[in-house]
Amino acid sequence: MARDPKYDVLFEQVQIGPKTLKNRFYQVPHCIGAGSEKPGMQAYHRGIKAEGGWAALCTEYCSIHPESDDTSRLSARIWDEGDVRNLAAMCDRLHEFGALAGIELWYGGPHAPCMETRHNPRGPSQIASDYELNIFPRYMDADDIATVHQMYVDAAVRAREAGFDIVYVYGAHAYLPFQFLSPYYNRRTDEYGGSFENRARFWREALYKVREAVGDDCAIASRFAVDHLMGPVSIEAQKDGARFVEYADDLVDLWDFTVGDIAEWGQNAGPSRFFEENHEKPYSGTIKPGNHTNKPVVGVGRVTNPDTMVAIVRSGQFDLIGAARPSISDPFLPKKIEEGRFDDIRECIGCNQCISRWEIGGPPLVCTQNATAGEEYRRGWHPEKFHPAANREKSVLVVGAGPAGMECAMVLGKRQMEAVHLVEAEREIGGCVNWISLLGHSDGRPNLHRGTARGLGEWKRIVNYRQIQLDKLRNVEIHTGSRLSAEDVRNYGAEIVIVATGCHYATDGLNAATHAPIPGADTSLDWQMTPDEVALGSKEVGRRVLVLENEGYFMGASIAQKLAGEGREVTLVTQAKEIAGYMEYTLEAPMLHRDLHRLHVDMHVYTMIERIEPGVCHAYNVWDPEHKHEFEVDSVVLCTARLSNQELYREVKADKGRLDQEGIEAVYVIGDASAPRMIVDSIFDGHRLAREIDSPHPEMPLPFIRERRLWGEASNEDYLRQLANTADVALV
Amino acid sequence: MKFVVCVKQVASLDEEFELLEGGGVDSDFVEWELNEWDTFSLEAALALRESGEGEGGEVVAVTVGEQEAEEALLACLARGADRAVRVWDESLQGADPLAVARVLAAVVERESPDLVFCGVQSSDAVTGSTGTALAGYLDMARVAVVTALSYDAPSSTLTVDRELESGLVEVVRIGLPALLTIQTGINEPRYATLRAIKQAREKPLVTYGLEDVGLDAGAVGVAAGAHTIELQTPERGAGAQLLDGSPAEVAARIVEIVQERMSG
Amino acid sequence: MSDGGVLILAEARQGELREVSLELVSAAREVAAGVGGRVAVAVIDQQAERFANAVGADGVSEVLTVTSPTEHFEAHVWQRALEGLIERERPAIVLAGHTIDSLGFVPAVAARLGLGFAADVTAVWWAQGPRARRGAYGDKLHAELDFPGKSCTLLTVRPGIFAAAPAGSGAAAARAVEIDLDGTARTEHVEFRDVAIGDVDITKAEFLLSIGRGIEDKDNIPRFEHLAERFGATLSVSRPLVDAGWMPNARQVGQSGKTVKPRVYLALGISGAVQHLAGMRSADTIIAVNTDPEAPIFGVAHFGAVADLFEVADELERALG
Repeated sequence: MARDPKYDVLFEQVQIGPKTLKNRFYQVPHCIGAGSEKPGMQAYHRGIKAEGGWAALCTEYCSIHPESDDTSRLSARIWDEGDVRNLAAMCDRLHEFGALAGIELWYGGPHAPCMETRHNPRGPSQIASDYELNIFPRYMDADDIATVHQMYVDAAVRAREAGFDIVYVYGAHAYLPFQFLSPYYNRRTDEYGGSFENRARFWREALYKVREAVGDDCAIASRFAVDHLMGPVSIEAQKDGARFVEYADDLVDLWDFTVGDIAEWGQNAGPSRFFEENHEKPYSGTIKPGNHTNKPVVGVGRVTNPDTMVAIVRSGQFDLIGAARPSISDPFLPKKIEEGRFDDIRECIGCNQCISRWEIGGPPLVCTQNATAGEEYRRGWHPEKFHPAANREKSVLVVGAGPAGMECAMVLGKRQMEAVHLVEAEREIGGCVNWISLLGHSDGRPNLHRGTARGLGEWKRIVNYRQIQLDKLRNVEIHTGSRLSAEDVRNYGAEIVIVATGCHYATDGLNAATHAPIPGADTSLDWQMTPDEVALGSKEVGRRVLVLENEGYFMGASIAQKLAGEGREVTLVTQAKEIAGYMEYTLEAPMLHRDLHRLHVDMHVYTMIERIEPGVCHAYNVWDPEHKHEFEVDSVVLCTARLSNQELYREVKADKGRLDQEGIEAVYVIGDASAPRMIVDSIFDGHRLAREIDSPHPEMPLPFIRERRLWGEASNEDYLRQLANTADVALV
Repeated sequence: MKFVVCVKQVASLDEEFELLEGGGVDSDFVEWELNEWDTFSLEAALALRESGEGEGGEVVAVTVGEQEAEEALLACLARGADRAVRVWDESLQGADPLAVARVLAAVVERESPDLVFCGVQSSDAVTGSTGTALAGYLDMARVAVVTALSYDAPSSTLTVDRELESGLVEVVRIGLPALLTIQTGINEPRYATLRAIKQAREKPLVTYGLEDVGLDAGAVGVAAGAHTIELQTPERGAGAQLLDGSPAEVAARIVEIVQERMSG
Repeated sequence: MSDGGVLILAEARQGELREVSLELVSAAREVAAGVGGRVAVAVIDQQAERFANAVGADGVSEVLTVTSPTEHFEAHVWQRALEGLIERERPAIVLAGHTIDSLGFVPAVAARLGLGFAADVTAVWWAQGPRARRGAYGDKLHAELDFPGKSCTLLTVRPGIFAAAPAGSGAAAARAVEIDLDGTARTEHVEFRDVAIGDVDITKAEFLLSIGRGIEDKDNIPRFEHLAERFGATLSVSRPLVDAGWMPNARQVGQSGKTVKPRVYLALGISGAVQHLAGMRSADTIIAVNTDPEAPIFGVAHFGAVADLFEVADELERALG
């Protein structure tokens, strides 16, 4: 189908300095866990997006020198010829698809702990990082400033050699250039501190020198947090923010605007539970309309709706539609808009699982919606291309249409298996997502900072996307409202049976902290309940509620938020050092804590429940079990262990004779039914099995390419040979 | 008891279909499937057969359609119909509901069932006429748009709900033999397992020409009620007619338009 | 064989004339001149004459009454009655409403008498013979029909397409037509019953009041629920409201929700993202209220108002009393 003329504006060319962007889709710099150490992943992850129509793709932040070392987190680096060689692989790949390659030159100052290099970062003033623990920068004198400027120049020259078209001086997220600009970091009294012009000097000089060095060949970009969101103590969009843009406008070919800093960069990469699409508009979206720049501007805001994109361009908010997360979730977003395939767009749900892995310290990125993210090279998976399965004549029954089952059936369908039946016990497909997506709300009032607890409604996109895709697949039938027994499964007539029956919450308080049930815990009682019972409203909750949060992710905190938002007195207890620890990694924690605090949720960390009695929970401090505490409550919610619903799998598998008799050749178990896990991993599990359904032992994942240094002689041919052996060769 | 279930393989158009020159739709943009209403009428027959009263009965699925309509019949056989009949003749291309009913009548007469089930309408033609026209040809007692049914064996009567406009239902009794046109939602249609789908291919499915059911193309042509001159794409997107004025005036116009469009 | 003219079949239920009867009078005007001859309205009822005045609207030359032996509509009695009317009056065109009652007998009459026939037509006109338009492929296309070789053509007309003619006041002469209907009934009326409204199925609703992001706050939902109730509409929503967790997925119109085809779709505060339009563009009548004149919803709407939806909603409440 031809493109709707309404979207033509998104496909106009844009000139940035000496380079031309073929359209307005721009992947801003974002981490993936590849850096310069995994050149294959770097080249193929970005390359798939280039194939999908993006006009430019950038590296993640790229260190310009060993004294800007972010270990344990993983950045790219352009320190030497080896890095040039590895990053050139990405540039070459992008150029094959007519896309431009961008590099984000980064010097972190005190936010770079240098745990690998053991250098000492320099900074404008000797104030410890508000992000790292106990990292102090060395005060930069005039010589230091010249030295660091030369680091930018040397890195830019190497970047040009690698083939980059766009060279950034990265000053967002409170890294070094911003530290000079912001009085919050910069307490200097020399010509680099004090007045606006003095604070802006370091950045201007860096831009000037980089431009002098490579500006004839490369577009010069700068990423700038136009508002630190800290008020008058730092940069505000309508004051020094707009002023700096005007001040440095002559030195850039492209502005990349963000908000906030690194310590709470969830204000920029806003999770959907607090921020909606295009949420940065009140800050970064005001600069261009305010006539503060004559240069093209790119900005972000997890924009997945083509109409929002058109509105952004038409209103002059941005010239380019910047995307990190939407490009991970759907590398083919531009192509799908161009071809009018709107219902094929796999929209980002804003869960920030992608970011969590970088926060953890650099494992490959993951994506809830796009199981192929990060697997493009090492497993050879392509998000839009699927090889017909070698055993496609086998009929498949998938039992359970939760995240794992939906994904598995969808990929089996796309691999052209001739007959796939996805059978679900409930009325609707979606499994746990159907009730989880009801969570995340409190009372709907504005939070203490920006955004509100708007909830996990967008997570429902997990179901929506798969429902639409499954409906299109003529070889996949979905049957709902049908709970299959083991005998039903045996008689179903499938040659391959895949069990994806999910999991349930422990009813007796079994938990990871004590490895035992909690005496007195029993959710068959009307005043004790599991999280799903709260979400679905199937039990009456009393005025005073204790929520026991042993899981460490969103569940306990979300239940507490909901119940407190409804006006109850909520006590939230965890054995861990913090509530919902994983939400630190997904950047949801700061806003969550603001909401819990605002709602007067009474939180107790390092605390575990040892006994539950009617009206009272007996607790103790995990470091001092003799330190007891009693909580008087009316209801108790147990977010304790989850247990696989694996009876069906066990029962079907047990009778080998019957399996033979009924012609069932294989029985697999995936997702939570195999072992409880996060949704992102359930979807991966379902996808993985379907991608490898024709491998010799589908239950065992095939090996993937490990990008590591091979001792002695090694060449790219080693890797390419391995790639050719994977189940699904996308791009060889 | 013996049941005949009349079904149809319906066409649904892709969002972006194209018209062929000289009318008709480019078949690349058409998908075929068993009419949704017929899944409910088949289920009604299967359920009645499985209930005490109807046990041991035979369910025969009948369609008028080209080769690809066998998919609809296979879907019925997989769900539990015992055998299937397809009637086709090139002269039936684009046949209207009266012509189709005329052909179905010839088949049903030969089967002489106790009950004939039809869907209220098909999702593509949406005439709602074929079942009642069939009853006309057969001179058979019928109730249209049935949303509930129960069978009383001793009196050989059915008590059925007839769905009327605006949330009203009329309950009526009807004796056998009879024809019912079945509304969606009356039951929960079963689905076929993979095994049943495979086994459906072993069940009897016969194909008849018009002469096999004692008809000729001329008789069917005479029965046809209408002739299609051409197919057109509806005019859309010509832009909205603007409702001007104060909020009160806009509201008054909206109420007027709604009442006008919803009346009848 | 035909004496010409148009015969309209009026419809009543539980002692009330149904609006479609007077819409058919308007429809008849489209063909009356072409076909020539009289326009007669027939009423079949146990007390058919009680509707004679009302159906004798402007342009109706004669009212025919047929006395039914049954108190309520009975498909087989009505079938015989209509057959009798057509045999005696020999009209060239017969118009009936495309209603549930009609579905039970009108096609049978066409089949038995070998008439020209089309159901659910949305336009009728005369061009050397009757012509009609109806939907095809689930209304994605229109089919233009003629009825060659037929001296009488029976059409069921979609309700709501033609404006109802003002009811008459007895100007047209009434004539009783005697048709022997005794013993023709084959079903037995038991009772009328109101159906309990169960789970909402927006795909089956005829009138959807749909709200979107424009309603701004979750707290505003109840007032639109109330408005929908007052209006006799079913409430549906666009995706942002489901994404925000304000409304259940079952109420969502659009690509990722339900595809709907109501007779009227009233969109308040919905901009009309492509994903939304895909789910509602085939509604018969689309009315949109939005503050943004550039909102894409106006591209598919039949009626649009650039206005504050809260003000319009308040006025709607007022207008509905």
